[in-house]
Amino acid sequence: MVKGSIAAIKFGILSPDFIRKMAVAEIQNPDTYDEDGSPIPTGVMDPRLGTLEPGQRCKTCGNTYLNCPGHFGYIELAVPVIHIGFVKTIQELLRSTCRSCGRLLLKTEMIENFRREIERHRAEGRQYRHIFYKVKQQAMAATVCPHCGEKQYKLELEKPSTFLEVTPQGSVRLSASVVRQRLERITSQDLELLDIDPEYARPEWMVLTVLPVPPVYVRPSITLETGYRSEDDLTHKLVDILRVNKRLKESIAAGAPSPVIAELADLLQYHVTTYINNETVGISPAQHRSGRILKTLAQRLKGKEGRFRLNLSGKRVDFSARTVISPDPNIDIDEVGVPLEIAMQLTVPEVVNPWNRDKLKRLIRNGPDKYPGAKYIIKPDKKMVRLKFVHNLDEVANTLEDGWIVERHLMDGDIVLFNRQPSLHRVSIMAHRVRVLPYKTFRLNLAVCTPYNADFDGDEMNLHVPQSDEAQAEARLLLQVQRNIISARYGAPIIGAIRDFLTSLYLLTKDGTYLDKQSVGFLLASMGYNGPLPPPEKSEPVPLWSGKQLFSLLLPRKLSHRVQASFNPDDEVVMRDGMLVKGYIDKSAVGIEKPNSVLHRIAKDYGSEVAANFLNSLVRLANTFINIRGFTLSIEDLIVPESAYGQAKQILTEMEQEYQRLKSEYERGKLEVRPGETPEKAFESSILEVLSKTRDRIGSLIRAYVPSSSPLVIMAKTGARGSTLNIDQMIAIVGQQAVRRERPSRGFLDRVLTFFERGDLSPPARGFVINSFIKGLSPIEYFFHMAGGRDGLVDTAVRTQQSGYMQRRLINALESLYVEYDGSVRMSDSKKIVQFLYGEDGVDPAKSDHGKAFIPRLIVERVMEEYPETTTPVSKELVVKEAEKYEEALPPLILNELINTTLRLKAPAEAVPVIFREAYKTYLQSLVEVGDPVGVITAQSIGEPGTQLTLRTFHFAGVREQSILLGLPRLIEIIDARRTPSTPIMRIYLKSPYNADPKLARQVARKLQFTSLGDVMDEVRIDLRRNLLIVKLDRDAMRELGVTNSDIVKTFKHYKAKISGENELVLMMPEEVELQMGQIRERILATRVKGIKRIKKAIVRKEGDEYVIHTEGSNLREVMEVPEVDFKRVRTNDIHEVASVLGIEAARQLIVEEARQVLREQGLDVDIRHLLLLADMMTINGEVRQVGRHGVVRLKSSVLARAAFEISVQTLLEAAARGEMDNLRGNVERILIGKEVPVGTGMVNLLMLYPGRKNREASESNNSG
Amino acid sequence: MSKKIISSKHEKEHEATITARPSILEHELVPKHEILSKAEVEELLKKYKTSINKLPQILVNDPVVKELGAKVGDVIKITRNSPTAGVAVYYRVVVSEP
Repeated sequence: MVKGSIAAIKFGILSPDFIRKMAVAEIQNPDTYDEDGSPIPTGVMDPRLGTLEPGQRCKTCGNTYLNCPGHFGYIELAVPVIHIGFVKTIQELLRSTCRSCGRLLLKTEMIENFRREIERHRAEGRQYRHIFYKVKQQAMAATVCPHCGEKQYKLELEKPSTFLEVTPQGSVRLSASVVRQRLERITSQDLELLDIDPEYARPEWMVLTVLPVPPVYVRPSITLETGYRSEDDLTHKLVDILRVNKRLKESIAAGAPSPVIAELADLLQYHVTTYINNETVGISPAQHRSGRILKTLAQRLKGKEGRFRLNLSGKRVDFSARTVISPDPNIDIDEVGVPLEIAMQLTVPEVVNPWNRDKLKRLIRNGPDKYPGAKYIIKPDKKMVRLKFVHNLDEVANTLEDGWIVERHLMDGDIVLFNRQPSLHRVSIMAHRVRVLPYKTFRLNLAVCTPYNADFDGDEMNLHVPQSDEAQAEARLLLQVQRNIISARYGAPIIGAIRDFLTSLYLLTKDGTYLDKQSVGFLLASMGYNGPLPPPEKSEPVPLWSGKQLFSLLLPRKLSHRVQASFNPDDEVVMRDGMLVKGYIDKSAVGIEKPNSVLHRIAKDYGSEVAANFLNSLVRLANTFINIRGFTLSIEDLIVPESAYGQAKQILTEMEQEYQRLKSEYERGKLEVRPGETPEKAFESSILEVLSKTRDRIGSLIRAYVPSSSPLVIMAKTGARGSTLNIDQMIAIVGQQAVRRERPSRGFLDRVLTFFERGDLSPPARGFVINSFIKGLSPIEYFFHMAGGRDGLVDTAVRTQQSGYMQRRLINALESLYVEYDGSVRMSDSKKIVQFLYGEDGVDPAKSDHGKAFIPRLIVERVMEEYPETTTPVSKELVVKEAEKYEEALPPLILNELINTTLRLKAPAEAVPVIFREAYKTYLQSLVEVGDPVGVITAQSIGEPGTQLTLRTFHFAGVREQSILLGLPRLIEIIDARRTPSTPIMRIYLKSPYNADPKLARQVARKLQFTSLGDVMDEVRIDLRRNLLIVKLDRDAMRELGVTNSDIVKTFKHYKAKISGENELVLMMPEEVELQMGQIRERILATRVKGIKRIKKAIVRKEGDEYVIHTEGSNLREVMEVPEVDFKRVRTNDIHEVASVLGIEAARQLIVEEARQVLREQGLDVDIRHLLLLADMMTINGEVRQVGRHGVVRLKSSVLARAAFEISVQTLLEAAARGEMDNLRGNVERILIGKEVPVGTGMVNLLMLYPGRKNREASESNNSG
Repeated sequence: MSKKIISSKHEKEHEATITARPSILEHELVPKHEILSKAEVEELLKKYKTSINKLPQILVNDPVVKELGAKVGDVIKITRNSPTAGVAVYYRVVVSEP
């Protein structure tokens, strides 16, 4: 076996000679096996190609099937055949070269010019691919060869692979051999200008004369139970090719008439084409006898089930396990319960040494079937002893020597990786310590459900056992649960107390909870506390301890902190010196997603071990307490006095009256219709307003009857589960059901169900549910509820698909980014710089305080505590002077905040240097780690919340008339860098007098809004006799839109416009124009009389104390030119427009703002650094690039990385024609070939050059990394 | 602010246009752009141990580049308002095509 490592992969096309040379057999015979089942020599299963049968030896290399690498064969094709993958390239080549002399159809000096240009670009290390495009364009335009003077004919391609030359005598078909001859004539020098590497890809090789036959491993046959052999699809195809090839050869030898031969040649072409790609457009795919479509070469590589994505980007692994998960609050958060059965299957290799020898001997004596035991022993000569087959285990144990390796059972304390799919973010895979437990499920602590997004309704999870010491150390130091308490997405805990734990802690710590000595002992034991018992808060008649006291025992002794309770934001929770002195504990103290909570402070200020211990004890305390106290929700909790519903009925009657009033207004046409709304829409939205008001009123009415001690309220308010809306729906009113965000309207003609009148728009007819869940829904209400529910399910299904694809694209676009030693962000393959300092301040969100390196107030307060006696009051000069020392070290924003806070809190002068020193220290601690794969973190941070984004949202931005695309579709639109947004809008600020006066502002708005003649006219007449077009103007519309007579006359002065008495615009038609009157009319009516192109609607809105114009449609360039407009502040949401008018930097800024806006609108917390990185990546080469195959991914230097993403086959073929080289530097390529990636812990190289010995590989990796 | 960063050669010409037309350089989305001197470029490349073609790019026909009158191969220093750091510096090399 050959050993070595892959340094690079060169792509190219095999020459016929090479194919013959690398082959071990010529394949001629279309038959596979003879009667007794042995392969026929020179058939497609020729034994020289390698062997698949165990026990047999390869005829070529003499190895068994385990070691024989397989050998190629070849088929001599009777006639040349065009390689279907290169048809496009061949066509381009033929069209840009002379049909007679084969030279490039450009003058010699132009060729030289281009050559020099390419040379120059290459020398400067710049992109030069666009030059090839220019060469091709110009050469293909030539009609006469500048070298030999031959006239060039048009060349047509008849799909899939027939070339036709259009000569004056008619179209002539070019046979593959003619094509090949022409390609042969093209000189190598010319090819270099056509983006082809002649050394590795001579164009004539694109026309096959010899076909390689892959070894049998590539297409193994399977033997069915019945004894029949079933052949691989490729084998079938090769047989087809051979059969036709044989017939063709015989026909040629027999001198058959040329039509017969041409027909056979076409058939051969078909078979070779489908052999290469069975999804070629224009031909019917080759089928199996059963009608199944064959999977041939291209199909093997392509798509999700193809080689790249199925077998190369992801690989199957050993040492893994999968089973159902179940909860266990009694194990630590960084533990995982592993069933004994699994622990006895998985092994960890341990090298024998004097310290573990006795232990390992004991394990060996236990053998593989008794826990804890061992399964294998590996001796230094790599010989493996399987203990299952050893009779005398004692004997083996006694011979054990140091340096041997024992593969023992998984044991308590071993480190393993635990994972739940979909692995949407970093914390979907974390390292846990093993706890071997009985029964058959994996057990995990409930605090880690959130990062995994796990519940216990049948979820399964995977477990992997790292084998090497390096991998284990890495897992312990980087992946363990406690290292990941703070989310890299939003810089707040993602692991914390959830559900009943929050309920429990609230009940425990709220005022008035006291426990007797027995309970206290019980609770303290459960949380593993073994310090002194604090003095009881009450001693009469029996000693009683408060819940606050118990909770306080968990807190670090010096901790002081205050938070707002989530139960009631007015309640303050105060902790002083490790004591909970006021308030109670709920989600905002120890829950997830809450920045600056107690949990967050402990994790950040006291470290991950303290935080893990805190959570462990917390979970156990909460669990034990709620077990003692009990907590239940019964139907009784949903019952309110019947009298409450009386008032509700009153509200419903009012609703009905209100509806009737609106309806009659609508029918009489009296309903207020806002600009840009149809009366129907106005009616509908007024109804919706009434309905939601009704629901809210009834909700709050009935809610008042629910005591705050109700389990429902406790759960909703502590953040344990549910919301007030859920409570309302259960006890008060379910409310409006929606389908596609509207009231249900489809079903029967003009009505949803036949129980209603046609056209009934009343609340009950359109899905308003007046009952509560406890009262029960009427059958009709039930139907609407079901419809709404189904819509929700569909929406979720569609959304997960879309956001999944978005995430995949983000990952592929950003995957190579990492932090370099100097703090800059670079691409691992090309080493291009993306950011000069990560996140612009170098802070890692996962080590931050909700995106900040530290909270200045906390630092100042902490330091001030050390100086209780304020002696010298602080002066501004002193602080500024101290700050100057840190000007280079700390980012300006942070420094300023620190200065201001120090002054505001009046820190003593002595403390100032300490404050700054402390702050600087904290800043350094919060910096990103070198090697961090920040691109992947960014992609995950944007992609993971994608499923939570709403789909299909048109939001009405304050003004109801203006709808903006939001949610997932808008995010995808931004990431896709679409040419125009689907709802382009502008926000136009005005200069001084105009922004203060609504009248003036409206005037400007009218001036901006695009108005055509058609918008201000009543009717048009055509006077054919006098050749006139007479337009009757609509005075009302003109007044409304601010169009004057002179505007119109000016616009149409070329038509000799005149306005006659009765509002008639008379236009003279140009006589010479041979256009239809109708067409002219259309054109005239569409002509602008006023406003700016593309500004469809302009509405004035008050923002703060100024009036701002909001428009539908966007035209930044022209709006900025309008004198009344404050051009410095004009905004649009069209990123490409901003790029072309204001430049790439402005576009980058807009990407950040737009993306941030979408996420904020949906209430998703994503650190701004992620958006900054995304925007920088999207604009890195000066234009706005899409996150996807046409943008960021296409510019990757690696062929394999591109092929692994999308359009694999085409990418590979292009790479072959260009003779591209893949240096395997990027992450994707490294994974494909099975090596470690060059980021994170993989970017570290140990360089040791022995004196006098040149280590080439070492110096090479030095250059690259 | 805009005046300072315009090379002297183009100043007059620009002065004339500024009264007639709004200057994009004053738009709030456009951060400060300035051309780095040869020495500064050297220093930058040395600081990051990199070469000029590894820097982020800006097109020669970018509106801001045109206003500045920068040429292909120039390095533009961009001083952004940063939501995280307050002020952040970025560099882009002027190129003729993406």
